[in-house]
Amino acid sequence: MNLDAAMLARVQFAFTVSFHIIFPTTSIGLAMFLTVVEGLWLKTRNPVYLQIYRFWLGIFAMAFGVGVVTGIVLSFEFGLGFAHFAQIAGPVIGPMIALEVLTSFFLEAGFLGIMLYGLRRVGPRLHFFATCMVALGTLLSASWILSANSWMQTPDGVAMQNGRLVVTDWLKVIVNPSWLYRLPHMLTAAYLTASFLVAGVGAFYLLRRKHTLFARKSVSIGMAFAAILIAGQVFIGDILYSTMLKHQPSKMQAAEGFWERQSQSPAPYYWVIIPDQAHQRNRVAFGIPYLGSIWLTHSLHGRVEGLKSTPRDRQPAMGMVFYGFRIMYGIAILMFAVAVASLWLRWHGGLFTTRWFLRSLVIMAPSGIVATLGGWYLAETGRQPWVIFGLLRTVDAVSPVPSGTLLSTLIAFIFVYAFLMTAFLIFVFRMIRRGPEAAPDHAEASASLKNALRLLESPTANAVLGR
Amino acid sequence: MDLPLLSAVFAAFSITMYVLLDGFDLGVGALLLLQPHEAARNHMVDSIAPTWDGNETWLIMTGVTLLAGFPLAYSILMPAFYVPLIVMLLALGLRGASFEFRPQGQRNRPSWDAVFSVGSIVAACTQGLILGGLIQGVTIRGDAFGGSVFDWLRPFPILCAGSVLFGYIVLGGCWLYLKTTEASRHFAERTLWLALPAFLMLFVSACLTAAFTQPEVRAAWKTHTASLATIVGMMALAAIVLFASIGKRSELRPLVAAVSMVGLGIAGLALLIFPDIIPFRLSLWEASASRLSHVFLLSGAVFVTPLVLAYSAFAYWVFRGKTPVKGWEA
Ligand code: HDD
Ligand code: HEM
Ligand code: HEM
Repeated sequence: MNLDAAMLARVQFAFTVSFHIIFPTTSIGLAMFLTVVEGLWLKTRNPVYLQIYRFWLGIFAMAFGVGVVTGIVLSFEFGLGFAHFAQIAGPVIGPMIALEVLTSFFLEAGFLGIMLYGLRRVGPRLHFFATCMVALGTLLSASWILSANSWMQTPDGVAMQNGRLVVTDWLKVIVNPSWLYRLPHMLTAAYLTASFLVAGVGAFYLLRRKHTLFARKSVSIGMAFAAILIAGQVFIGDILYSTMLKHQPSKMQAAEGFWERQSQSPAPYYWVIIPDQAHQRNRVAFGIPYLGSIWLTHSLHGRVEGLKSTPRDRQPAMGMVFYGFRIMYGIAILMFAVAVASLWLRWHGGLFTTRWFLRSLVIMAPSGIVATLGGWYLAETGRQPWVIFGLLRTVDAVSPVPSGTLLSTLIAFIFVYAFLMTAFLIFVFRMIRRGPEAAPDHAEASASLKNALRLLESPTANAVLGR
Repeated sequence: MDLPLLSAVFAAFSITMYVLLDGFDLGVGALLLLQPHEAARNHMVDSIAPTWDGNETWLIMTGVTLLAGFPLAYSILMPAFYVPLIVMLLALGLRGASFEFRPQGQRNRPSWDAVFSVGSIVAACTQGLILGGLIQGVTIRGDAFGGSVFDWLRPFPILCAGSVLFGYIVLGGCWLYLKTTEASRHFAERTLWLALPAFLMLFVSACLTAAFTQPEVRAAWKTHTASLATIVGMMALAAIVLFASIGKRSELRPLVAAVSMVGLGIAGLALLIFPDIIPFRLSLWEASASRLSHVFLLSGAVFVTPLVLAYSAFAYWVFRGKTPVKGWEA
């Protein structure tokens, strides 16, 4: 690999954005989960919901915090690494991100303080409202940033005037051809991620026979959502696939791992390939016979289009695209299998006692995050060599910053982010080990709810809170 | 209507909000290093914890407004200040993460507080370096940055770094004076007695250096003598009021005086560089995006900003009054 400025800028962007997306995915999902759980608590007054809320709020707060600080980096990174891209595309994606800041970042930030520290001050109802606003903020944030990114995938509503992009129709820019399919796919991915996290932690406690009540509710709620969401996700993913096939055939050609303009018939479904881009062939390719034809052409002998259909100077690198897709798709299949098993076990009353199932839930706990990263690698590396598909090449987009400087800051990012990730994981595992009953000392987030629990149990407090 | 001008006004508004609001957060952060008692440090952090995130969001708003409205300026400034910006972002990252990580355990809290404090100090200094680098002048070739990535490493930007740091410490001291009680309030008082003179000295030397090294600053003084002199006079007045109110009964007055002082400083700066978006190099109209981009940006700014200000104010109102010594929920 040749370490020129363009390559380093791409690696730095890829590293920082991949690190970022781990946390939004978690916090978008957990924000919605917390809303549901606090709503259930307000409705039923069952203290187990409050316990679940309290437990996940601590983890949510940390994920949110890391999400915020890594996100700020990205909003400057457009100019830091890709100054020419910022200059050309700024007038298009800039206003969308500005609206994201105004409609969602401020909303999240304004109500996050109340959500974490304010229960005593505002009472349960207004506190629930704050939780809802934070969840809404994450949803709006995802909508705007996906609109910006989808415009880079399937640009519309702009014209090129002496080397600059000029917006001609904002509606077409925002509701560009892929946004309407990518947004639900991403949101479902985030909600799936949270469901598997919650169910995984519950299963971990059930296996150790600890915190049983908490754990049963967690597994039950988590798997109920997961079962509905994965069915929806496969459906949305299928529509998204045909949309991208129409707009970016080169991406989908790379994602299936075939080189020849028309694949052999019947086409296998590859799971492992070692592509050789220079000679436009696979060195190694393993797959399941016939399955490619069946899945991709819905016939026994259909042929699939290969990457040679795209001129060489417009081809993405096959390896990343292919494996991004296989990781996402593979996990989708596993999630589907687990969801089906959960329904069957629920029907037969073994949801909380079947050990192999609980063990698989523990293993699947981080699967949503891995699938999300896989999906994004498919989407972003498959867009190459373009940064704005069909309009601006990535190599023409970079900043006039020397590669030595880029390399040093990349190393600095790796160190600081490794430090943040280590601290985050240590604290999350510690919280899980301590269990839902032990509020971490001095964690205001949890202390607030413990107090609320105490408050709600005393009749005088009900009078104070005006109920 | 002059849309680019309105977008520039919005950018100026955002950066002012950022400096005033995150200014006191960073100042409080910087002061953590000087406070040996852990209970007092908890109290200090508690006083800013519920609202810091919204304060920092104004920084993102400023950056993104530049990207949306003045893409040419954004694409020149980001590479020009590549190194201080990245250092600032990493420092802000460490500071922000410390907010969430420091409550997680008793044992490591002093280390997280050190990270918190150093992050705040470094972020403040890099912002000063960027300010100094801007006034000193950015090299532009064609429509891209044409200088070296270390142009900001000169005496004048370093002087600015010091002024910004101490300006933030003054703001932070006034915030603590308003929000805390007993020991922490005394601490704030002592800080102000030292930090305010230090800030004034650094600020005045930075102004004089700017006048001697940057001819454009002298030229601006010649054209705006009366208004700039008024601003400087009012700043001096605010500084005197601030001095006089340290240790007195009114707990709000020092903060109001400090905010006026810093706000006037920003106004003076705006007057010096107007109508440029990159001082003395590129005017806001030359750097502007096309019309529809401004229309979209400004309609967002006009319709949503009042709402943002309203619920931000609500968040401050929920946490009004003295910060409880044992934390918000005790
Ligand atoms: C699908 C969702 C999603 C995606 C693809 C991205 N983000 Fe993000 N971002 C969020 C979802 C999100 C969020 C849920 O709104 C966060 C995560 C945690 C949080 O605090 O807010 C956030 C935080 C966050 C912040 C801090 C906001 C604050 O202070 O509250 C900034 C500046 C960005 N992001 C910017 C970006 C940029 C420039 C991205 C693209 C390269 C990006 N994000 C990708
Ligand atoms: C958050 C999930 C995301 C992930 C994991 C991700 C991943 C990546 C990766 C791997 C690259 C490098 C591609 C390559 O050079 O081969 C990249 C590039 C890039 N992405 Fe994304 N991306 C994400 C979201 C976004 C969003 C939301 C935007 C814009 C709104 C965006 C804008 C860019 C830009 C400008 C580049 C640099 C130019 C390029 O290499 O094409 N990304 N991203
Ligand atoms: C049958 C199952 C699935 C199919 C057919 C499918 C299909 C796709 C396709 C075609 C893309 C590329 C879109 C583009 O190029 O912009 C994509 C992206 C993505 N996928 Fe999937 N997907 C499936 C399951 C999942 C699952 C289970 C998750 C996560 C839990 C997931 C998360 C993502 C994410 C985060 C992206 C990137 C964002 C985007 O481009 O919208 N997918 N998916």
